[in-house]
Amino acid sequence: MTTLITGADGYLGRRIATALLGSDDLVLGVRAADNAELNRKRAALAHLSHLGHQVVPVDLRDDDPFAYVDPGRITRIVHAAALIRFDLERADAEQVNVTGTARVREFAERCDRLDRLMFLSTLYAAGRRRGDIRESRLGDVGFVNHYEWSKWAAEELLLDSDLPVTILRLPTVIAEDATGAIGQFNVFHHTLRLFHRGLLTLVPGDPATPLSLATAEFTADAAVAMLAANPGIYHACAGPVALGEVIETAFTVFEADPDFQRRMLPRPVSCDRAAFLDLADAASRLRGGALQPVLPSLLPFAEQLYLPKTFRADRLRAAWPGYREHDSLAVVAAAARALVVALADRRADSDAAVSRGASSERAASGSQTAEKGRAHAAAR
Amino acid sequence: MMVMDGVYLGSPAYALGSRKQHVRESAEAGLLRSAASDLEAAGFRWHHVCGPDESAYDLARQAVAEIAGNGGLRDIDAIVYATCLPEPQQHPVRDVKMLMDFPASRLQAEFGLRDAIVVGLHQQACTGMLGALRVAKALLVSEPSWRRILCVTADRFPDGAWYEQAYNVISDGAAACVVGREPDVCRLLTVHHITNGGLGRAGDDETVGTYFAYTHRIVRETADRIGATPPELEWIVPQNTHEQAWRILARLLAVDHGRVWHPSLPDVGHVISADVMVNLAALLASGQAQPGDRIALAMAGFGLNWQCAALEVTR
Repeated sequence: MTTLITGADGYLGRRIATALLGSDDLVLGVRAADNAELNRKRAALAHLSHLGHQVVPVDLRDDDPFAYVDPGRITRIVHAAALIRFDLERADAEQVNVTGTARVREFAERCDRLDRLMFLSTLYAAGRRRGDIRESRLGDVGFVNHYEWSKWAAEELLLDSDLPVTILRLPTVIAEDATGAIGQFNVFHHTLRLFHRGLLTLVPGDPATPLSLATAEFTADAAVAMLAANPGIYHACAGPVALGEVIETAFTVFEADPDFQRRMLPRPVSCDRAAFLDLADAASRLRGGALQPVLPSLLPFAEQLYLPKTFRADRLRAAWPGYREHDSLAVVAAAARALVVALADRRADSDAAVSRGASSERAASGSQTAEKGRAHAAAR
Repeated sequence: MMVMDGVYLGSPAYALGSRKQHVRESAEAGLLRSAASDLEAAGFRWHHVCGPDESAYDLARQAVAEIAGNGGLRDIDAIVYATCLPEPQQHPVRDVKMLMDFPASRLQAEFGLRDAIVVGLHQQACTGMLGALRVAKALLVSEPSWRRILCVTADRFPDGAWYEQAYNVISDGAAACVVGREPDVCRLLTVHHITNGGLGRAGDDETVGTYFAYTHRIVRETADRIGATPPELEWIVPQNTHEQAWRILARLLAVDHGRVWHPSLPDVGHVISADVMVNLAALLASGQAQPGDRIALAMAGFGLNWQCAALEVTR
């Protein structure tokens, strides 16, 4: 098998590439503005390229992004490249996630030996739906943000083709694996950080809203397993956990942290959508308010917390030999512990920087005193 | 929780710094940290600043003089005086008794309250006036012969200070009322207080961040003390803060926002510990509060402290 992975240097792309290392000949597509960036990315993927796997520039914004890939070689494509932000502008989401996917499709149609085109989508391609969401094609019921819409539109582009397409809808990845190590901070971690610092004591959403949270390990394993399964639509998710349980679990971890204990911070209160929008509106106008950096990503996601839905994963489970369900709350607890450690490290770094600053100030003030002494001596 | 019985609150009065300034004027004068437009969006328009020779004590005396003018200072057995800012010192202190020029004692002498003892509260920040009500009630319980207690709060920002705290525009001001055993305009049902010293050095963002969870809790627990739920309270009279804050809290508490009474927000801003009395006086003067209506007075302050008093309108 020769597998082309777009976004191969991305968070999940890299993991999937590593998982396929032993079985596939890999063509690793990375976005690079110039040769210097391409060389940096090649260096970052050296553990793969040294084994003979090819690293090629693939920028989905180009008219011919696959100019450096021979379609005759490719038997599988994993399309992982995307802009993944809840605050995407529609034009950006369309350019990369929709038009970019159309270019992947055009390329795939030129791959005579193609056995599979896997598209990494999101569970939230379901948009504003509520209730049970099955592993099937979705209609347009409206979307909370342009990111969701772009993933749904990209799914539609591929499902309208005659290609052997697998759509894998991904959950919110909150940790690398069961250890809770955080490989990539996202809105989940940023929101918990606000709670930990006492900067936010309102939780948007209904506490009963189910969340699909997973590790990168689980998600990449699901991608590899579904490459071997029949084409189709799959939900890469384990059992859902309720928003309220997630908050309780995170606070149980926080409350064991001495720094958090000292500040005796309260558990947050759930609020309705209108109240949260009012809070966001007010916070957006506070001078340098602490919520401002997080609001752009939190707001477009928070809306989903008022649209409870449960993602069914029956097809995934049936198609995945050896499927193992992880304990989502245990992962939340582990990720919260990792976050507490990361915040403590950041505080220690900041304290050290302050202390270094004070030392150099003292040193500077010492040398100033010496300068003054010399000036006085000269005057004398 | 037993409800306090037979303790009444009356004669609410207040005084404000003599210079009334628009927030744009104050922003231009460098007295504010936020942009005037942002503060106006939050509902602030005007605030009151003391003149150079005007002290916090002057404001306290003015508020108490109004009570005296209505004959409200009879039978005062104690003065509970709440402040959160120390009086500024003009010179280095050699003799520390200069630091003990207590305003409560001055009031007692100036108004001839010869039977009154004095109690000072100065670590409850903007919730101090409600702390004074609580102490007054406790004194009436522990001193069966005492009849009436004068509660006072007064603060003035030092020259050069920003007239903005935690994104609120501040006025210099004072308020006073009398807590006693004789039936008066409101019955004082309970006062509830939460302190989180772990947030004693909280910055503006932590203060705002924790405001909602704690204010929600203090109102809910206060209502519970009088056997009610927040939606069963007829009125909530808060301190003046960002006008969206109480729209949010009203939803959290399932309270009709039309029953949250803080009409003085644009005119006076946050008067440290006094604006809750400014708003209460406005509610009572409006004639909208009916006998039997229950009112929650809710305040938050540095320390961090949150206090809430429950009143019942009697007439």
